[in-house]
This record gives sequence, C-alpha cells and structure tokens, in this order.
Amino acid sequence: MGTAPDYLDPQLAYTTQAVEAHWISYTGLLTYRHEEGEPGTQLIPGLADALPRISDDGKTYEFTLRRGLRYSDGTAVRASDYPYSIERMIRIPWGGRSFVTNYVVGAADFDAGRARSVSGITADDATGRITIRLREAYGAFSNVLAFPALAFVPRGTAIRNLSNDPPPGVGAYILTDVVPNRSFTLRKNPEFASFRIPDIPTGNLDTIRVNIVSNTNSEAQQVLNNQADIFDSGDTLPPALLPQIESQARDRFARKPVPSTFYFFLNTTKPPFNNEKARIAVNMAMDRDALSRIASGFLETDCFFIPRGIVGHPTSECPYGDRPDLAGAQRMLRDAGLEGAPVTVWGQERSPRKEYIDYYTDLLNKIGFRATERIIADTVYFPTIGNARTDPQTGFADWLQDFPNPSDFYLLMDGRSIQPTNNQNFSKVNDPFIQRELRRLNAVPATELDSVADEWAALDEYTARRAYVAVYGAEAVPKFFSNKLNFDSVFHPLYFNDWSTLSLR
Amino acid sequence: MAIDPATPDTGTGAIRTASGDSVVAAEPGGGAPAAGIGPYRLARRRLRRNKVALAFGALFAIIVILCFCAPLYADHIAHTGPNDNHVTEKVTVGGKEKDVVSVSGLPIGPTWQGRFLLGADQNGRDLAVRLLYGGRNSLEVGFIATFITMILATIVGLAAGYYRGVVDGVLARILDLIWAYPVVLLGIALGTSLALGGLSIGPIEVSGNSLFVPAVIIGVVYIPYVAKPIRGQVLGLREKEFVDAARVQGASSLRIMAREILPNVASTLIVFLPLMIANAILLEAALSYLGAGIQPPNPSWGTMISDGIRLIPSAIHLTFVPGAMLVLAVLGINVFGDGVRDALDPRARVKIKEKETDKVSDDPVEFAVEH
Amino acid sequence: MARFVIRRVISMVLVLFAISVLTFLIFQAIPNGDPAVRLAGRTATPEQIELIRQSWGFDDPLWQQYLTTMGKILSGDVISYTQQLSVMSQIKQALPATLSLSIGAGIIWLFFGIVFGLFSAIKAGKFTDRALTVLALIGVSTPVFLLGAVALYFLAFKVQIFPNGGYVPLTQDPIDWLYHMLLPWMVLSVLFIGVYSRVLRSNVLDTMSEDYVRTARAKGISEKRVMVRHVLRNSMIPIISLWSLDFAAVLGGGAILTESVFNLHGVGQYAADSIQQLDVPPVLVVVMLGASAVVVLSALTDVLFAFLDPRIRLTG
Repeated sequence: MGTAPDYLDPQLAYTTQAVEAHWISYTGLLTYRHEEGEPGTQLIPGLADALPRISDDGKTYEFTLRRGLRYSDGTAVRASDYPYSIERMIRIPWGGRSFVTNYVVGAADFDAGRARSVSGITADDATGRITIRLREAYGAFSNVLAFPALAFVPRGTAIRNLSNDPPPGVGAYILTDVVPNRSFTLRKNPEFASFRIPDIPTGNLDTIRVNIVSNTNSEAQQVLNNQADIFDSGDTLPPALLPQIESQARDRFARKPVPSTFYFFLNTTKPPFNNEKARIAVNMAMDRDALSRIASGFLETDCFFIPRGIVGHPTSECPYGDRPDLAGAQRMLRDAGLEGAPVTVWGQERSPRKEYIDYYTDLLNKIGFRATERIIADTVYFPTIGNARTDPQTGFADWLQDFPNPSDFYLLMDGRSIQPTNNQNFSKVNDPFIQRELRRLNAVPATELDSVADEWAALDEYTARRAYVAVYGAEAVPKFFSNKLNFDSVFHPLYFNDWSTLSLR
Repeated sequence: MAIDPATPDTGTGAIRTASGDSVVAAEPGGGAPAAGIGPYRLARRRLRRNKVALAFGALFAIIVILCFCAPLYADHIAHTGPNDNHVTEKVTVGGKEKDVVSVSGLPIGPTWQGRFLLGADQNGRDLAVRLLYGGRNSLEVGFIATFITMILATIVGLAAGYYRGVVDGVLARILDLIWAYPVVLLGIALGTSLALGGLSIGPIEVSGNSLFVPAVIIGVVYIPYVAKPIRGQVLGLREKEFVDAARVQGASSLRIMAREILPNVASTLIVFLPLMIANAILLEAALSYLGAGIQPPNPSWGTMISDGIRLIPSAIHLTFVPGAMLVLAVLGINVFGDGVRDALDPRARVKIKEKETDKVSDDPVEFAVEH
Repeated sequence: MARFVIRRVISMVLVLFAISVLTFLIFQAIPNGDPAVRLAGRTATPEQIELIRQSWGFDDPLWQQYLTTMGKILSGDVISYTQQLSVMSQIKQALPATLSLSIGAGIIWLFFGIVFGLFSAIKAGKFTDRALTVLALIGVSTPVFLLGAVALYFLAFKVQIFPNGGYVPLTQDPIDWLYHMLLPWMVLSVLFIGVYSRVLRSNVLDTMSEDYVRTARAKGISEKRVMVRHVLRNSMIPIISLWSLDFAAVLGGGAILTESVFNLHGVGQYAADSIQQLDVPPVLVVVMLGASAVVVLSALTDVLFAFLDPRIRLTG
C-alpha cells in the first residue's frame, strides 16, 4: 500500500485505503453485495436480519438484529451497542458524520453537546429491535447505514482515536499489529464463520499483512516480481512501470473504472463562464482522449456527471460530441465576444491532476481565453476553492462516491449546497429545474432506486446540455496481483479489492 | 579556505566552513601587492593560465546563452511553446507516424529532428523547448537569488562588523536563526506558504506563482553563509590604519564603509559569487523537486527532473536530459569558481611562485569559536 | 567553562524560541490554511467546523495558540492534525532510519573525504589531483535526488543488486538492514566527499606553507612524520567542525531528499510530508530538533577543540 490509511479506527476512517480493510472487519446493519460492477452497489442486510422496514413517510427505519452474533473478542453483540457506536462515531468525530447528524432526530443536538444521547435511535436488547427516526425523508439513508463507520463496536469502547489498537468488530477479519504509517495485519476472525450471514464471505486467507511503502514504484516492482502480493488499488500505478507490467504480467493486471466523476468546474456566477456559450465552448474543445493518455489510461472517458456503474447514468450520446472541435469552440468564443477573457485555472499538485490542469490551461489558451495556472498544495485545495473569498472561475474537481446513489453526486449540483466556506458546488449551479427534480428524487429510498433510474438519467442529460461542468471521465484503478493469488477475486466498485474473496493459486 | 558549495540535501553544507573561517580569500587590496602588479590583474593573469577553469566557465556561458535564446529555438526550430500540449498528435519519425504520447501514457523519446528533438513529456510538450525555457527559469532564479544574497549579506556583514555592539548582536542572532534552521525545511516551508499566499514586501506585490518567490527564499536562506565571513573580515579591517586615517579626516561611517572597507572585501565577494550561483541553482532544483519551487506549468530543471523521475524506467530521457543539463551548468560554474578562488588566493596553489607577503587573515584560532 | 556552557544554553534557547515562532508564523500566514476546515473534511457543515475550531483552540489569540502548542511539545503529548497521532511516537519510529543513515553516511564521507583530500594535496598539481578535483566537483554539482533516482534505476531496476528503497530495522535483520542502507549511504556521501576532499586539500596546502612545518622539515624530520604529526593534525580541525555540523544536520532530519528518494521513512521525510499537509505540530518538533542538534554539536566541537588546543579560548 502506497498511502497510509487516514485512520484505522473504523469510526474515524474515510479514505479508500482504510475502508477497504474496514468493510470486511466491521459490519453494520446493512452492507453491500460482494460483487463486481453495478450488482456490487446493491444493499444487503448485514447484522440486521433483513432490509429495513421503512414507514410510508420515509422517516422511520426498523431493524431486527440477527441472533447469536459475537465480536471478534468473543463478547455478544447487543442491540444497544448500536446507539453507542453511532454516538461514538459522532463524538470522535467522523468526517462524514453530517450524513447522520443532518437527518437523524436528536443527532445534531448530540453533536453540539446539547443532548447526552441521540434520541432518534432506540434499541431493545431483549428483542434485538433497533429503530431509527429521521427528521425528514432521506432516500439515501440506507446507503449511509452501510458505511463501515456506522458499524457495531462494543458498548464502552473508548471514545478516542484507537487507530493503533482498533476495537473489536464483527467481520471476516480482525485488524491487529498496527504500526502507524508502516504496517498492519488482518487476521481471520474465527468467530465470524460460525454466524453464516448470507452473501457475506468469511474469507479464505488466514492473514493479510499490509505494508505501507510511500514509494509506489517499489510497491509495484515488488508485486511484479512476486515479492508482494497485492498492489493497493487506491494507489497510482507508476506510469513508468506500465509497459513492463502490461507485457510481463498481462494475466494479473487490469484497469478497473470506479464510480467517480472527474471534471472541470465552471463558475456560473462569474465571467466568463456565466455565459453558457463559454461553457459549451470548453465542452466542445475538450479532448478527453488526451486526458486519458495523461492519466496513463487510468481514466475512462465520459461526459456525464453521473458515472457508469451508478443508477441513472445516461446512455445517450454526449450533447457536444465525442470528438474535440477546437475550431468550433474558437468560433463560439469569438461570437460571444469572450476572446482574450482572463481566466485563472486552479489545480492540485499531485500527479496526474497537475498534468490535467497543465493540459486544460493550454486548451483554454488555444480556444481564445487568456488563462493562467494556480497549482496549490493538495491539502488546502478544496478549502481554498470552496471559500467565497477565492471564488474561483474554473479548475479541477472530482467526486468519488460516498455511497452508490446518484443523489450523492447531485449534492454538488444542488443550489442549497452553495456555502461561503467549504462550498462543494464549485460551479455554483442553482437551476430551478434541477432543484425541483432533486426535491423529488432525493426522497426515493435507496432500496427502490431502480424505479427512478430513467428520471435521474433525464436530469443528468439536462445538466450536460447546460454545460454546467466539463466532465471528462471516471477514474480507473489498477487491479494488480502477484502470481501467488488467483486473479478471479471480486473487485468491488466501492471497496476495490475484496480481500475476503482472495485465494491462493 | 574552501567555501564549497552547500549541499542541497542536508542544507547545511560546507559553506558553513566559510562562515566559521573569518577570511575566505587573501585580500589583494589589503596586503602589500607583490612586485607592484595590481592584485586583480595578478589574479586575472593566473586565471587566464588555468585552462580547465576557463573551459568550464565557457561551458557555463554557452548554456546560459542557449537558455536565453529559448524563444528563438521555440519559434524557428521546434515551432511550439514550452507549455503547448500535443498529447493526441502524431509526429513522423523516419517516415513512420508515431504517437507523441501513447494510449497508455508513454511519451515519445528523442526524435533527433526539429520537432521533439529530445522527445516529449507526458503532456506531449516538446522537451527540448522546455529544457531551454526551464534552464532560463532556473538560471534566472539562481542569478536573482545570488544577487539578493550578495547585496543583503554585504550590507549585513558590513553593518555588523563595522558597528559591532548592539547592531552586531541583533544581526548575528538573526543570522544564527536562519543558519540553524534546516535549509531545505525552511525552503519548502516558505515555498509552500508563499506559493499559496504570494508575497508582499511593502508596495511590491508578488503573486504566488512568480519566479521571484523561490528566488527570494533562496536568496534569504543563503545570507548567513556570506554575511558571516564578511563580518569577520570587516572586524579585522576596521582596526587598520587606513580606516583610522579616514576617520581622522572626518569621513562618515557610511563613507568609510563604502570607500575604504567595501573594496577590501570585494575579493571575498568575487570568490563567493560563482559558488552562490551554483548553490542557488541546486537549491532551486531541490525545492522544485519537493514541489515548492517554480510553479507549473512553467518548467525549471528541478521541476522537469521531479516530473521525470515518476517515469524513470520507461522514459529515462525525461530525467536524464534536464539532469545532465543541470549538472553540466552547475559543474561549469563550480570549476570556474574554483579557478577564480585559486587565482585570488594563490596559497591554495602550490605551483604559483608569486608569494603574498603576509596572510591577512586573523589568527586561524578564532574561527572555531566564532559561530 | 561554566560561563561558556551557560551562554551557549541561553543562546540555544533563544534560537529555538525564534525558530519555533518563525515556523509557527509561516504556517499561520497561509491563506485558507485553517486546520479546522481540513480536519472537518470535505463535506462538513459550518457548525462542525466551528466545533472543531473551539475544541482545538484554533480561535484563541495567536500567542495563546503558540503557547499551548509549545506546552504540548515540551510535555511530549503533542498530536498531529492530519492523523491525530502522537508526534513524539512518530518521531521515535522515524529515528532509527535517520540514525542509520546519518551515522553510516557520516563515517563513509569523513573517511573518503580525508583519503581523497590528502591524496589530492600530496599530488597537488599532478594529474591525480586534477582528476580528483573534477570528480569532487561533479559530486558537488549533482543533486542528491537525481543521483539517487539514477542509482536506483541502474542498480535496483536494471541490474537488481540493490533493493528499491525502504528501511529494514537493524534489530530485525542486520544483514538486510545493511543491504538496504548501502545505496543511500553512498548516494548521500558522494556530495560530502566532494566537499570534504576539497576543504581538506586546501587546508593541507595551507598548513604545508606554514613556518612551523617548514621548520620541522628543515630539522630533518621524515616527510611522513611531518605530514601526520603537523600537517594532518592541524588540517583536521576545520574538517571535524564541519563534519559535526553536517552530521548534526543530517541527524536532525536534514537529509530530506535522500530519505524520500530511498523511502526510508526518516525524520526528514516525516517533516517534509507534514509540511505538504500543512501539519504544523510535527514540523515544529522536527525543526526544533534539527536546530538543537546543530547548536549542541557545534558547542561540543568547540569544547573538544578547547581541550585539544590550548590556544583556543571559549568565548561563546
């Protein structure tokens, strides 16, 4: 693994490197099917015995805990552990807790210290019943419940960062022997196999040792030479080694697109991109193939905001064509009188994002803008461009799903999410049609998403026609194993390599 | 005594020796010159005899001229700018069409023809064009930084050495501070901070992606290495008769510093000049390698190397070309600087017969306890 | 002596204070560098950010924030922003790699620096001297990250005789430790060898023209004895003081580039990573450690010389 997980405490972790270990070690009420592609985005019951019973107003979720569950340390799982786990997650605090605090009754009060517990979650140890009440209907709430951060930990687990000694959980593996930023080990959980939870694999390998080497070059070489077994899919495969990997290890290397959207935002409240013509010109001129090459092929080109693999991805043609039309774009700008308009392009330092911006800035100059580049440190990038004082014109943006639901992507197009700091709606889109559709579609429960797939697709086609952003594709990640492992393990769209389906050759 | 280039890795560098040693070169102006020939003429004559130093000096000069002619090359030979992307274009090499950047992202290697003479980078930009423009940026940073170092270090060294007392105390502490701060860490901390915020010194506003940001940082970081020996030398000089004589004649302090003392430390400054340029170029490369130097899309040798290292096994030309250029340029100026030092300080060269009458340096005993 | 020690300690405290203030201010000046926003994550609400700001004390006056941070550093329980891990334990983990690198490389560069420098001085003006001079200057002119990357390419990738970076603890496997350290040692040393051989060469030549050396020669003492007894001994003083400073700097996390090229996870790499994440506490700690290493070692060198050479007065 080339990047250390942000936290190994399940209720603090957010990054891919962390959750790929957590989702097989810490299970919540719901989880996802262990399969590739769109089926992998389907919710299944985890420690709950069935999918939730949702009230007609969409505000009450009811679960019953499976019987006989035990944590990896042998203690019994009780329903009352759940409210504790949620409270711990809020207190500790998990970066994504707003998914809970914004919706669950009493969670915001608890977060602010105004209440001693989350009043909206009740549990009964005797019956195993867990009830969650929401302030308003929130369609994606079932997706939220499937986060590893909302998994069960025993009541009384210390409310502080336990990354160095992760708490017990319910899952196929146990996280042990943590040396921060160096290594950790997943050991098979002997308890777990005895529960036989349907559709959740119990794991094949006895131990999985994860070493963190911040040099992805040596990581890739070790896998190539079979000294290490898995190249972490969250890492960038060194492009330099690609030719060698593609020739020597063809049968154990693949590029796997993940549900994500890479785009350039176009600030619709500021010249020149308040002019739709300017935005369309960018979309016309963009050579997505060039960006894919810059990404060493790790970009699956696309022009729609909802990515492939997520319900609602449009199947229609790109509204401004697939082939770049530089001359057309130049003409359009000239007609709109925008030739020579100054544009500052914002970007991140890390590769290939910096190279995307190098390309994009050159492109803007070619179609007639006067573009200059501002590359800033990765960590301050989003706080900076999300700050109203910066109010950037255009630049790099990406979105990797928090959960596989189109509403998660449209958070970035929602007029209500425009805010003075930490803004995520970088294009500052506030379109009445989008707002109206979102109000309706966001309320549809995640478990019934398929019924509104066409409506999401229609909305996304509208967004593409209005050219609110310039999408160029979805990120692809490497699946790259040593020859010791079978290559047929599951590559999950959310958690990448499913370590619980690995097996030795 | 040797003032050898700072080591951009540890940052301490052996330049520190110089800061301990009070006198760097013999003072041609201070001591009695040999046989009536002016000290600088003598030095020039010695330098002219040192063919190796001259050759390397010429190498450096050629690189400088080439780099400053970058726009000519870009317009008339390569027909592309340093930041022009040609990712999906094709180029004909030996009658065959080739991708500038392959589908899996591999850039083309040297074509040995007008377009993409030395190959392309991952964005399909002409490496030769970038090499020259990058060199221009690296050299400009090096020159500006050295200029800043020399000016400020001379002022600080003169003031501290001449006024002594409180002025010296305060300045010495500031120098100690910069000096004890790990150079590269200071550089990237400042670089990261300034690249985000830009720089404003009084009325001058410099935006974060300007070339002046790394130049100022490097310039400031190296001040102590020059200021300390100057100060030591001035301490000795201010006690000399000719300074007393000027003082008795009623010359102001400023005038004494400018007219009497400055010419006497000039040789030290001359010795430092090429070495500081070399160090500034190296430090710029190190900062760019750590992402705190020249801001993209503009190239510099350092950023080109650091971008290239990612692709080392499959496209070594991306690292090798700017790397070789950087090493050649720095080597050129280093060898030349070495020659200059030898010429000004004949004690370091055994073969030269002319003898300096006396060593002007303070007793070598003091240096160890100076810093 | 006591006066010397007291003065040095006072000046060290002053330098450390100033360095910590400077570091603190550099990071304060960063626009949008508000650590609360970064800690809160990309999707946090303004209330959550405010909460973090309060609980971490980011809305306290600047001087108070500085004092709190420094207090935590001195008591050893300072934690980093990005991962909220104990900085001290992180440094403790990084230290073995940095120690291995600095001690090993320090010995190598001192030894070869002296050997080449002496050789060059003895053969002054001859071909060997010229060749060594050019070699030394090439070493001095090559950025260590370039040398490291090229060395890795040829010696760890093309011909796989060395490992591709990484650190193996000495206590875990001494042979493997040595195997992993050899290339970083050599790469880091090249540049210092260049510097040291040049310094020593000119020192030796200087000393050889001193009166007492000429006197000794005139007295008919053997050339070898003159070299060792008089010339070398006196030329070594600046070399040792130079070495102690460079060694201190590498020890204090100065070899950032070598550590990151070879991925040693040392103190310097930790500091560089922290700077990139604008994580102030670790940067403060490493910078102060580095500075104290420099200050302490240079004071020790002075004391050592005062003992060795009675002519040197200790005047801090």
